[in-house]
Amino acid sequence: MTSKYDLETIELPNKWKASPLFTGGLILLVIGAVLGLFVRGQEAGPDAELRFLSHSYLANFMFVMTIALGALFFILVQFVARAGWSTSIRRIAELIMWTIPILAVLFIPILVMVFTGRSFPYEWNAPDQIHSSVIKAKIDVGYLTKEWFTLRSVLYFALWSAMAYFFFGHSRKQDESGDVEHSLARQKWSGPCIMIFALSVSFAAFDWVMSIDADWYSTIFGVYVFAAGMMAFFATMILISIALQNAGKVKAFITVEHFHDMGKFMFGFIMFWSYIAFSQLLLYWYGNIPEETFWFAVRLKDGWQYVAYALIPLHFAIPFLGTISRHVRRHRTGLTFWAVWAIIVHWLDMTFLVMPNAGPLNVLALAGHFLGGLGMFGIFLSFFLMRASKVPLVPMKDPRLPEALTYANPIL
Amino acid sequence: MNTHDHKVKANKEPRPPKACGWMAEFENEHDLLHAAEKVRDAGYTKTDAFTPFPVHGIDHALGIKPTVLPFIVLCAGLTGLCTALLMQWWMNGVDYRYIISGKPFGITPASIPVSFELTILFSAFTTVLGMLALNGLPRFSNPVFTNPKFDRATDDRFFLYVDSSDKYYNRESVRELLSSVHPASLDEVVEDATPSELPRGILLGSLLLVLAGLIPAAIVLNMRASFSDLPRWHVFFDMDFQPKKKPQQTTTIFKDGRSMRPQVPGTVSRGQLVAEDPFYLGYDPMKVAALGNDKQVYVSATDAPESFFQPPVAGDGGTALNLPWLDKLPIEANEANIKLGKVKYETYCSACHGYSGFGDGLVAKRAASLGQDTWAPPTSLHADRVQKQPVGQIFHTISKGQGKMASYASSITTEERWSIVLYVKALQRSRNAKIEDVPVEQRSSLTDAPSTPAN
Amino acid sequence: MASVTSSYNPREIDNTGEIPGRRAPLITGNQTYSSVTEMVCRVAEDPQPRIWWLLFGMSSLTAVMFLGLIGFLIYKGVGIWGNMNPVFWAWPIVNFVFWVGIGHAGTLISAILFLFRQNWRTSINRAAEAMTIFAVICAAIYPGIHVGRAWLAFWLLPYPSLNLWMWPQFRSPLLWDVFAVGTYASTSLVFWYMGMIPDLATYRDRAKTPLKRFIYGLLCLGWTGSSRHWLVYEKAYTLLAALAAPLVLSVHTVVSFDFAVSQLPGWHTTIFPPYFVAGAIFSGFAMVVTLLVPMRAIYKLENLITLRHLDNMNKIILATGSLVGLAYGTEFFMAWYSQNQYESFTFINRAFGPYWWAYWIMVTCNVISPQLFWFKWFRTNLLGMWIVSIFVNIGMWFERFVITVTSLSRDFLPSSWGYYSPTLYDGLMFFGSFGVFLTLFLLFCRYLPTIAISEVKGVMSASDHADHVQAAVAAELQGKDPHAAHGHGH
Repeated sequence: MTSKYDLETIELPNKWKASPLFTGGLILLVIGAVLGLFVRGQEAGPDAELRFLSHSYLANFMFVMTIALGALFFILVQFVARAGWSTSIRRIAELIMWTIPILAVLFIPILVMVFTGRSFPYEWNAPDQIHSSVIKAKIDVGYLTKEWFTLRSVLYFALWSAMAYFFFGHSRKQDESGDVEHSLARQKWSGPCIMIFALSVSFAAFDWVMSIDADWYSTIFGVYVFAAGMMAFFATMILISIALQNAGKVKAFITVEHFHDMGKFMFGFIMFWSYIAFSQLLLYWYGNIPEETFWFAVRLKDGWQYVAYALIPLHFAIPFLGTISRHVRRHRTGLTFWAVWAIIVHWLDMTFLVMPNAGPLNVLALAGHFLGGLGMFGIFLSFFLMRASKVPLVPMKDPRLPEALTYANPIL
Repeated sequence: MNTHDHKVKANKEPRPPKACGWMAEFENEHDLLHAAEKVRDAGYTKTDAFTPFPVHGIDHALGIKPTVLPFIVLCAGLTGLCTALLMQWWMNGVDYRYIISGKPFGITPASIPVSFELTILFSAFTTVLGMLALNGLPRFSNPVFTNPKFDRATDDRFFLYVDSSDKYYNRESVRELLSSVHPASLDEVVEDATPSELPRGILLGSLLLVLAGLIPAAIVLNMRASFSDLPRWHVFFDMDFQPKKKPQQTTTIFKDGRSMRPQVPGTVSRGQLVAEDPFYLGYDPMKVAALGNDKQVYVSATDAPESFFQPPVAGDGGTALNLPWLDKLPIEANEANIKLGKVKYETYCSACHGYSGFGDGLVAKRAASLGQDTWAPPTSLHADRVQKQPVGQIFHTISKGQGKMASYASSITTEERWSIVLYVKALQRSRNAKIEDVPVEQRSSLTDAPSTPAN
Repeated sequence: MASVTSSYNPREIDNTGEIPGRRAPLITGNQTYSSVTEMVCRVAEDPQPRIWWLLFGMSSLTAVMFLGLIGFLIYKGVGIWGNMNPVFWAWPIVNFVFWVGIGHAGTLISAILFLFRQNWRTSINRAAEAMTIFAVICAAIYPGIHVGRAWLAFWLLPYPSLNLWMWPQFRSPLLWDVFAVGTYASTSLVFWYMGMIPDLATYRDRAKTPLKRFIYGLLCLGWTGSSRHWLVYEKAYTLLAALAAPLVLSVHTVVSFDFAVSQLPGWHTTIFPPYFVAGAIFSGFAMVVTLLVPMRAIYKLENLITLRHLDNMNKIILATGSLVGLAYGTEFFMAWYSQNQYESFTFINRAFGPYWWAYWIMVTCNVISPQLFWFKWFRTNLLGMWIVSIFVNIGMWFERFVITVTSLSRDFLPSSWGYYSPTLYDGLMFFGSFGVFLTLFLLFCRYLPTIAISEVKGVMSASDHADHVQAAVAAELQGKDPHAAHGHGH
């Protein structure tokens, strides 16, 4: 008998399998780079274009990397909480998580910048140009040197890939056997993995983003990057789910309740990001200590102040009010709109973290950078599709799947 | 449980109980839902269910519309937000502007926490009070309580009710409909048989309470309107009675009984070092006593005149104050100091005394043209008696003022004043120059007759 | 699935583990709606066990001592405490932060776990919310009395005054505290009260004396259980939960701002807001465990507050304790990374300076002891978890002590350094605040519904329904006829 749970509905649509997203993304990346190359940075610097390009690439990389890390965290939390509701959307998250080993390849250009001795994106990489004793101390002790930086980056990717492999592997094996042991194994290891995740993501944020301005420090920075990524991850998952359903797949598996919940999470992380960003700002504004405020000072001049002020309505106020209503969260068009909004504003946020250190705001350069961001996202999605074309989109034999298909949000 | 004491006593004739509707009892929520759907389908709208917990699907089964509460709460939250922002902006930014480490007035990031809290506060209270209001609670008297079976509505039984005010209500047909779903019991709901008027005792008691509540206000008003010879009640002393000693009080700590003590030898008061240094005074205060001046000379930082309210004595400055003036400049007479003195002279002094020191500055000219008798023209610095003044006396004049001239001590630092003195001496020398003062090479460019001073 | 773990307590059933796909029962012992009502109402209806009287006697005496000491404090002044240059903030503020932190668990259980649809919260949320109210009362006492002139504490409020001619300073975190803790106290109070209305109605309907019926009837505002009322009530409950969730985060954030907006090394660091919130949840849950483990045993509520509930709470304690540990590590790393000599000195001073003993107690209790909860034995053994919960609260008190006192006693200028010692009154008053807390909690147990009866019943109903529906879908997934599948029982 034909059931709405037919296997055909859990396969990637055929025309997606040969998607031009990768090449398209690459082309956009190049166009964006070329656009940026034609822009001279306003400060006289010998490598203004390359400086801009390296910062732009790093910002766009962080844009997609944080989404993949958000997926990893989501999976870990679902197992620590022994959650059932998410089972039917979990495979999508697993596939996003499973792009992490490939994203490691995208990190290589940054390592190239580091190993060719450039002072961008990381100023500590050119010690003879450093005058600050603070940075020198960190270089001298060996923390901010290219060898240890690389070693740590490799370690982060190794840990995350190992975790992704473990969780994805068990998920796929359970597809064959339906054995509950796979769920129990993931439950057991999810706890320690969360600890490792928290530590590694914090330090990755410190190394990859905070050390761009190696004089500056903020203990909440790891949490900030994490929160931003989580919001964008839920937005991405919403978009992928809606796209799949529009292509006629997984219609019965992902219900309006799942969209409601993903929307709730996206809303929650908009609030959480705002809370973290505001805390950081308020404390540094209030204390008014130059060692700490200069990072904000750089971002409040040369055109970047418009981005800074824009982030308040764009990243907080408007999407907050937009997604506060449960009706919007249960409505596919509304949710699509806000998910796209969230992803774009996440790109803007990562830009705001990284780009001001490359020079003053230049609108044309920013446009090129945006195209690069689109390109990067396209490449990221192509990795997702690459992984997704080989596996079913729903873990059919997961014992908690019936719970996912039947749960409902409370009456109202 | 057969007896319920809802009211204290029923001392009136009980009215015949009014029937309000039918109540059907069910043993589980599924039966209730099933029955509710039937009742809804039959067209009844003034219906309700009574359950120990909210039953999933009952809104659909009875056709109950969602509540408007969220919108009310949203409005309340926005009100809270605006109230908080307005309050902070006005209180700290307009009405009483605290200067707090240079932070801007008005709305800053520091205004956000209170704004957030008030938003939540307003929203939360509106939620609860709104819920109570929308539900018509508190409502203590309710016909459904009359039947003791209803006690199980908060325990483990589920009730379905059709009210008699429904437009399709018919006592028999409703009873039939409800019987058809096989409830555990079916009863008519009647009103309480006890009287509904308020007992006189409660009215009297409330009146007494209100009157009693007015007593404190009456006392306060009386106190405000009346007078008393007694001192006020001083409940919180705060720091009003301090164990420290005030001047002129006695003490047992010292043998002479005085709490005011003379200065310990060697005590230096503020500004005293400055007050004793000839560099700051223009004269050596240590030599003052040796002069035997019969006028009172105050050796203090302010060098005060005889009376606080009298201006310093005007006069020729030569005899009025007979002080041991310094006659040697305490600063080096080099080009830099003369240049400094020139700049300062031209800034502060030339307005009255003129660029060359003849007393023909613009202020003096203007004052002379006004011709008022309150003006004393500035002294020409080339006048004989001024030429004879020691450098210390010129310094003293600048520092303390003389006649109409005010003290310039607050505008010009001590070193700068000495450099002005040097420049004035240079100006004076320029009017009294001898041919030997001119370098040999330049003598030939001079005209034959030396010029005479202007006055 | 359910096995009897404790031979001396036949009511103790281990429902902590479950086979994925078959949810373990949240309520054990085959309960019905009326048996649940009976189990909870019995607590208030039956005469109190002797231990209640013993504890009540001790705690009320302690509370009276506390009130007396407050009077003494107002009479003599804050000099009776050890606060002295340079440590002007010491035990009173530490106690304030301690109690406010404990209060957070109740709101988290009520609001945040509600938003996450964690149905197991229904057995513990009432007692946890009560704990919150009482903890916030204890907390709020301290700011009131630790100002020099407590009788003028009302000056903190923005009331129009012809006498004062000025307004509060809204740019101060101490004033944000007034609003935050005030909002928190009042919102928690109305949330707790609103939650109790249906259960007070149950009490009213079971009341055997006219006085009890009158009082409970008054308190429940005439609640009938009407579905129309329930619908608005549920909406209000969801709204309050959605409001209380950010509120609870904001309150301890604002408390952390008291320290973090300053410029003191060790205080001025951006991670304080989420770190304090995590620490508050950590200590709050520990206090819930401390209270509930004895309470469920004394009142025989083990079938409602099951081992699974305790296990879940212990996992949250482990998670938040690890977050606190992560924050310690980040701060420590940043103290080096910043190359700020004052910052790095502060952290070395904490570990090896004159307060080293406080620091190591803190680390042992906060970082090490909750790690014991990785082991299932600790999570499910009543005595083990109770001891760990006590240690956690000791550790969290010491954390606030270390933060406050070490940074003040040794800041930028060595000539200003000084060692702080508390006085007897500091200690007695802190001890006394526990008396207030426990007295109120015991009164709560005696007179008010300790478990959210209606919510528990709602969860029972929902899980029954869910089991049936899931069985049908499971059958359909496997290609079988869904209507032939049997439902899963507990």
